[in-house]
Amino acid sequence: MSTSTLKYSAETSNALLKEVMDRSGQNLMSCYQCRRCASGCPVGEETGVTPDRLVRMILLGEKEDALNNLLVWKCVACYTCGTRCPNNIHTSRINETLKQMSKEAHAKPLLLKVAAFHSAFMKSISHFGRSNELEFMGLYQMENVKKGGLSALIADIKSLSKLGIAMLRKKRMHFKLDKTKGRSEITALYNRSAKRQGPKE
Amino acid sequence: MEIGYYPGCSLHASSKLYDVQTKDVLSRIGIELSEIEDWNCCGATSVGKQDDFLAIALPARNLGIADATGLSEILIPCSSCYSRTLVSQKTLEGNPELKAEINAELAKKVEGKIKISNILEVLQSKTAEIKEKAVKKLTGLKPVCYYGCLLSRFPSDMPVSDSVENPVAMEGLLKSIGAAPLDWGYKTDCCGASASVNDADTALRLMSKIFKDAIARDANCFVTTCPMCQLNLDAYQDEVSKKYGITKKLPVYFITELIGVSMGISFDQLQIDRHFTDAMGLLKELKLL
Repeated sequence: MSTSTLKYSAETSNALLKEVMDRSGQNLMSCYQCRRCASGCPVGEETGVTPDRLVRMILLGEKEDALNNLLVWKCVACYTCGTRCPNNIHTSRINETLKQMSKEAHAKPLLLKVAAFHSAFMKSISHFGRSNELEFMGLYQMENVKKGGLSALIADIKSLSKLGIAMLRKKRMHFKLDKTKGRSEITALYNRSAKRQGPKE
Repeated sequence: MEIGYYPGCSLHASSKLYDVQTKDVLSRIGIELSEIEDWNCCGATSVGKQDDFLAIALPARNLGIADATGLSEILIPCSSCYSRTLVSQKTLEGNPELKAEINAELAKKVEGKIKISNILEVLQSKTAEIKEKAVKKLTGLKPVCYYGCLLSRFPSDMPVSDSVENPVAMEGLLKSIGAAPLDWGYKTDCCGASASVNDADTALRLMSKIFKDAIARDANCFVTTCPMCQLNLDAYQDEVSKKYGITKKLPVYFITELIGVSMGISFDQLQIDRHFTDAMGLLKELKLL
């Protein structure tokens, strides 16, 4: 993240704050920076930005930094911050909202693999209604290449094939394609969601 | 007693053993599981990061199917599926507009009446039967109970039966069949979940802390209820150990596996040989297999 001097504009900061609050359902204005969230955050020590800092960043309207910091992308959604927050602010929900906003803005995600993983997972469910590990991993690698190029794929395939071989040996690999018959309903739900989000830019 | 059953994708695939054990163990204490028909994926951890509407709508389709069975209760053993489905039901209870919008697309409408239970709630309701069926006492087993995140913490307020910071249901069950569960500091800490695939350094670091504390407490195994936690601690234990200089290996059991052993169910029926980190050795050493 940048450390430039603060350029505060009430107008842009209010717009960002309102969007994050509406979409995440979290009242960021009730944060009084007690940092209970930070002390419980399992990734806080490596992300630099802790949940309290992220909330402050959004309040100050620092949109670019809010979308591009390690907390948003490394958050493991363990819900510890929100469970311990005296004001019931779930920063993991804020992180989820910011990831969505980053995708909608066609911004380059700070951690490509995280974005590729979740996007591939949702695609996989839209195909069969259920997640099938092999199909999903294929889609994930396709997303990986799309977002990070061939080098991203090669680096990842090495560690994944190790897991895959172990799964085969331990009879934990599943080859049958699991499908939901009522896929038309799943498709209808996906379509409705797309409609709610409005026309694509 | 018949209750509904939502296995979710994991229990049909990489954690099939958990599905097999759950059905077997519960049938022996008088619970028949009726898998709801044609269920779909709940969206798991990915959906919240991609689509807030589908995060409620995907589990809602399953809830509609479950409500239509007329059964009063449904068991969801996977923590992630349990969390997603419970949050969907409670959200729709407080948002009739959203409920109507989703129901408009569903053949079987969500009514919101079925009681959603996790595996510990179902097992706890039958503690007396479990104790009675335990032909083998798990003497010598010193597990640390690993609850992970999603069984007790939620993205919004949910009614839960156990303590959020210090759950004890698993310990109670294991004590009743003769094991000696240990107190430790990481029972509700995160294993990294899908980060093991998409952000490995983070997941390996989180797991290293879990392993180190368990070993420092002199535990001889982990027990968990979550297929994602089980897969992570089991499949990545080698890698974490190498990276962080940990020498001791601990088997990672599902709670159903150990209850099954105490009932005298054979290892191949319970599929205990399908672990990544050896899970047979300890049980043989303790003469439980």
